[in-house]
Amino acid sequence: MATPKGTHFVITANFIDSGAPAYRRSDGSWSTSLQEAHPAATEAERDEMLAAASKEESVIADPYPFAVRLEGSAIDPLTAREEIRAKGPTVPIRRPDAAA
Amino acid sequence: MYQYDQYDQQIVEERARQFRGQVQRRIDGEVTENEFKPLRLQNGLYMQLHAYMFRIAIPYGVLSSKQVRKLAHLARSYDRGYGHITTRQNIQFNWPQLEAIPTMLDELASVQMHAIQTSGNCVRNITSDPFAGVAPDELEDPRPYCELLRQWSTFHPEFAFLPRKFKIAVTGTPSQDRAAIRFHDIGVRIVNNEAGERGFEVWAGGGMGRTPFIGQIVRPFVRYNDLLAFVESILRVYNRYGRRDNKFKARIKILVDELGIEEFRRRVEEDFARSTNPALQLERAEVDRVTASFRPPPYEPESSARGDAAALAERTSNDAAFARWRKTNVLSHKVPGYDIVVLSLKHPDIPPGDISDTQLDRVAELADRYSFGEVRTTHTQNMVLTDVRDADLCELYDKLVALDMATPTFRLLGDIIACPGLDYCALANARSIPLSLELAKRFENIDYQEDVGPCSIKISGCINACGHHHVGNIGILGINKNGEEVYQLMLGGHDSDSASIGKILGPALREDQVADAVEKVLSKYLDTRNGADETFLECYRRLGPDPFKEAAYGA
Amino acid sequence: MKVVRDRKVVEDAWQLVTDDEAAGDHSIVSLARWNAERDALLAEGKSAGVVIRSGESPDDVEDLERAPLVAVDFPAFTDGRGYSTARLLRSRLGYKGEIRAIGDVMRDEMFLMHRCGIDSFAVKAGKDIEKALTAFDDFSVTYQAAADDERPLFRRVHR
Repeated sequence: MATPKGTHFVITANFIDSGAPAYRRSDGSWSTSLQEAHPAATEAERDEMLAAASKEESVIADPYPFAVRLEGSAIDPLTAREEIRAKGPTVPIRRPDAAA
Repeated sequence: MYQYDQYDQQIVEERARQFRGQVQRRIDGEVTENEFKPLRLQNGLYMQLHAYMFRIAIPYGVLSSKQVRKLAHLARSYDRGYGHITTRQNIQFNWPQLEAIPTMLDELASVQMHAIQTSGNCVRNITSDPFAGVAPDELEDPRPYCELLRQWSTFHPEFAFLPRKFKIAVTGTPSQDRAAIRFHDIGVRIVNNEAGERGFEVWAGGGMGRTPFIGQIVRPFVRYNDLLAFVESILRVYNRYGRRDNKFKARIKILVDELGIEEFRRRVEEDFARSTNPALQLERAEVDRVTASFRPPPYEPESSARGDAAALAERTSNDAAFARWRKTNVLSHKVPGYDIVVLSLKHPDIPPGDISDTQLDRVAELADRYSFGEVRTTHTQNMVLTDVRDADLCELYDKLVALDMATPTFRLLGDIIACPGLDYCALANARSIPLSLELAKRFENIDYQEDVGPCSIKISGCINACGHHHVGNIGILGINKNGEEVYQLMLGGHDSDSASIGKILGPALREDQVADAVEKVLSKYLDTRNGADETFLECYRRLGPDPFKEAAYGA
Repeated sequence: MKVVRDRKVVEDAWQLVTDDEAAGDHSIVSLARWNAERDALLAEGKSAGVVIRSGESPDDVEDLERAPLVAVDFPAFTDGRGYSTARLLRSRLGYKGEIRAIGDVMRDEMFLMHRCGIDSFAVKAGKDIEKALTAFDDFSVTYQAAADDERPLFRRVHR
């Protein structure tokens, strides 16, 4: 099964304070939520956003683009990796304490 | 265990202070991310999928109860209440903030801990046999040599920017190596020569990853006093001649392979012969000083250690679950009346190797009460109390059950090793933990596991092989094929004396096919083995892959 | 070159020259050129130095003791070969002259470089050379023998 073809691009990075995934909004600010990312419609727009992001070393690190598909207004990240980045680990985090 | 003197203490404190400065310079924009990255890696700080990941060193797997309590506190205060034991005996936290790291390092320094060189292209944690010092088959306790190597390698100025990471392991047993020395960049085995003199058999060029190699012996007998000098010569040859053009060809195993062992040895011996610096010689006073920290604890006489032997025997016959646990998770100790007790961090509902802050606090109590205040981590992602009296086994067992740390599967199918995989790791191509949980669930039945006998399942989420899949009796590698996570199954790996690298069995499998395939492989083993004493590995080596391939993939 | 030396920022006459350029006084030339031309380079009281690139070996420098300065190149700060080069120059070959780090030289590596026998540091452009002076205070204790002190800690102090 080939990766479904994307329709748009999102610029992502990691916040340097928390290491959390960062997604670039249309106004150039960064969100922790993929759904707030600005989906670039063309490769030119993607490259422009990426170039701008690469200058923001004080807020984020290692920006890169990835392809997404727009389903209405929802952004589908297409790959398991970006899905997991957006939603968090798919496995239990911290074993619950046994009843005292 | 080793006790820091003022110098050890000063070093970790100054390192914490140095990193605080580096973090500040990063935040202030004086260093770029590219410049900061190797510095933060040398302090064990990775950038992962969701957050930073902080890897704290547990030198050769030894922890005091005080240190365990500190780890619980760090997990609680700066992370999400748990840590993860790694395949190199370290512990990782998955959710710290950058700003908290210098404070965490200060707190670690206060209990003689650090995160020095747990990442980066430098010498990493020196790992060892988790049963060091107490195993009946040991020639000599490797821990003092691990500590000497740790100090020698810490901020070694010549080797801070190697072509790639460098891992050293030391074992003290003549056979049944439990430190996997044949799969390390340098492996050291304590030996006697024919004249009965103590020395070291030194291996190099082992490793897993993209191109796995079994190491080769560089010199079968290095004189006792020459240990550090010889190891330094190997490091120097690697630093000077290791490939730097391709990250995936940069480990020493590639250098050894490309030069050939004869040429590699020649270069090492040449450097060693020219290394006339007497200061690198092991000095008796220093060896004695370090060894003194590892002197045996105040063991009780046998009768006292055994306690109520009749009660223990009775519990063993009447309580099947206890008997089972005693059979798998309790191992012989060199001192009569004492036992080595594995604290299993494996459970069908918990990612392998994960431990909560509550569990860490309880483990500290158990260590204090039952094992002279000390506990170990293993590269198979479990923990160990090394000095438990027979008399305490029943009580300890009950407490471990309450903590979910009594899963009786040590070295059995349920003792799965898995890397964090795509759920956490930025390097991963596929998830490993969900598969480990599925397999743990599928083979949950302990009767079945006991019937199968020793069989290691090791899962990696990418070619970097942090899950050691190449040396699993059953190894699984997650790969990305056209955006989908699929899994390669390999059989016949083994990381101890008769080392072998697993061989891929057939085409990659979808995640939902893996458990069935593994079960079919195991059925084939059960059907064809030469009696119950023939292990899975022995059976595979006898029959070869074909019958298993047919079972897993056939009609 | 503007360098850190002896915990001070100093400017000196040393210059790196390529094989095509004329080599005047205080030129640092390639290893091949040094081996071929050192007599000429040092004639008439001139000073000349040699640069050892990261793939080159200090063993290959002829008449090493005649060079008042050896530059060790760090093409990228992550290329650690220069540390071994410096250590070998100082500790094994007994080189007594000045060893200078050039290339991708920054504050955070200078402590280690100094331990390997490097005396002067041509901090790269764009980095604050004055701030780099604090590098030597990163650690007050070191464990192992190195070029700056060929005794491991246990031979320097009572442990």
